[in-house]
Amino acid sequence: MIPQAPRAGGPPPALPLTALLVAAGALALAAAALAAHPAALATPVPTPTFLALTHTVTLGYVTLLFAGTLQQLLPVLLVTELALPRMGAATLPALATGSAAVVAGFALGFQPTALAAGGALVSLALWATAVQAVLTFARARRRDAAARGLVAATLYLALTVTLGFLLAAAPHVPALARFGYPVQLHLSVGLFAAFLLGIATAGQRLLAMFALAKRTDAFRLRLLTGMVHAAVAAELLQAFAHLPLHGVAAALLVAAGALQLWEVAALLRVRLRRRLEPSVQRYLWGHAFLPLTGLLALDGSRSAAGIALLLGFVVLSASGMQAKIASFLTWQARYASRSAQGTAPLLRDLLLPGVEPVTTAGLAAGAALASAAAATGSQALAVVAAALLLVGAWAQLTQTIAILYGRHRSTAAPSASPVSPRKENA
Amino acid sequence: MTPTMHALAPVADPDTVLAALGEVLDPELGIGVLDLGLVYAVQISGEAVAVEMTLTTPGCPLHGSIADAVEARLARVDGVGTVAVTVVWDPPWTPEAMSERARRALGFG
Repeated sequence: MIPQAPRAGGPPPALPLTALLVAAGALALAAAALAAHPAALATPVPTPTFLALTHTVTLGYVTLLFAGTLQQLLPVLLVTELALPRMGAATLPALATGSAAVVAGFALGFQPTALAAGGALVSLALWATAVQAVLTFARARRRDAAARGLVAATLYLALTVTLGFLLAAAPHVPALARFGYPVQLHLSVGLFAAFLLGIATAGQRLLAMFALAKRTDAFRLRLLTGMVHAAVAAELLQAFAHLPLHGVAAALLVAAGALQLWEVAALLRVRLRRRLEPSVQRYLWGHAFLPLTGLLALDGSRSAAGIALLLGFVVLSASGMQAKIASFLTWQARYASRSAQGTAPLLRDLLLPGVEPVTTAGLAAGAALASAAAATGSQALAVVAAALLLVGAWAQLTQTIAILYGRHRSTAAPSASPVSPRKENA
Repeated sequence: MTPTMHALAPVADPDTVLAALGEVLDPELGIGVLDLGLVYAVQISGEAVAVEMTLTTPGCPLHGSIADAVEARLARVDGVGTVAVTVVWDPPWTPEAMSERARRALGFG
């Protein structure tokens, strides 16, 4: 049973915690399937198996994790109550079920009923989540660059799935078929406008909290968001007006990635907490894949670049924050009421020691070798990459289960005598 | 930064109140709220205790939990009847407010 506790102004933690657990399970499942079909990495062509694997990661893991986290993160970022707080109880199960149907539809060789039903369900769930984000944003007094970017990323996520849904339907619906099959639009909106922007905005605030970093200048985040908007506009014009703007979009997205690296470096420079926790380090390791993605794309290895971006940057970054968010939500649900007695464990006590480095090493090395396998076509590299990803993904699932259900003990040092007060009037 | 103590005919011992406050930890950092310099002022008036405090980051997700823990811990001190905890953002928390012990624990300064 998922830990439950009431929380004022938001949904119970059980809801996002369930989403986080299912998402971790989806990544572990994708890694197991990849280990059974490692050739998909060496020859990344859109076969049913490859698309099923890809969508298990993008929908089953990243999107479900993002949507679940939003239920708690939006009110925190916007310092307001979540709009429609009960809606997550419908949208998250719909998203999980729809994602499973889409993956099954691909795995069964483009089975149209499963793809149509799954795509419709996922689209509805994500547009409902986007509406929830916009309504929460509308009631907030504080609307900084991170909050604006996060809401935009939510809208782009819904747009990505709807585009994918419509594109998949195009071969069967003549009215849609005349638009062709602009898969590049689907990929750019999903990987950059939804995932990069979502990680940049949510990550900026979370990294600032976990590293105790003084606020950095918001111009980078504003510029990054603007570049993503411009890139999406360019891709839309390329796809539907046939204007040759793909190069412009690619240049804007590369610049957006560079801005994200600059922002993270700026935050690390002003942090007060010198020793960062292993899960926060994993979030940072993900960013090492941004320049790798650029280099592979420049080299013309577009599939390898896509794999580096998805498995390296997106999965590692999301996975790092997942451990922090899962431990925070579990602490709220199980231990917050005990903190006054001094018996509550610390957030870090909820994690199994030694597992985080295994997760980071497995996912990071696996993503690097998977990119290399895609760039070189090496089957041997693909086998090793799949094995490493399997280790990393299952370590993460183990950690998530341990956070949610483990017996945790406090390692807090006994409190020393407190500082003396300045007595003004005794 | 040390908190300002304002005591008017206190029923509870001010030092005991302060010691109880020192036991409340930030669960993310594992450091007491007093050592972090989060408590700005403590006012004891008879059996009533009022605490003015802040957090390291506005919009910190642990906002409610830490304030609730301060309130619940102080309510267990002998002589304390009512407790009111107010979280303020002005003046904002700065690292200079931390004690030497907290700085060492964070590997800072």
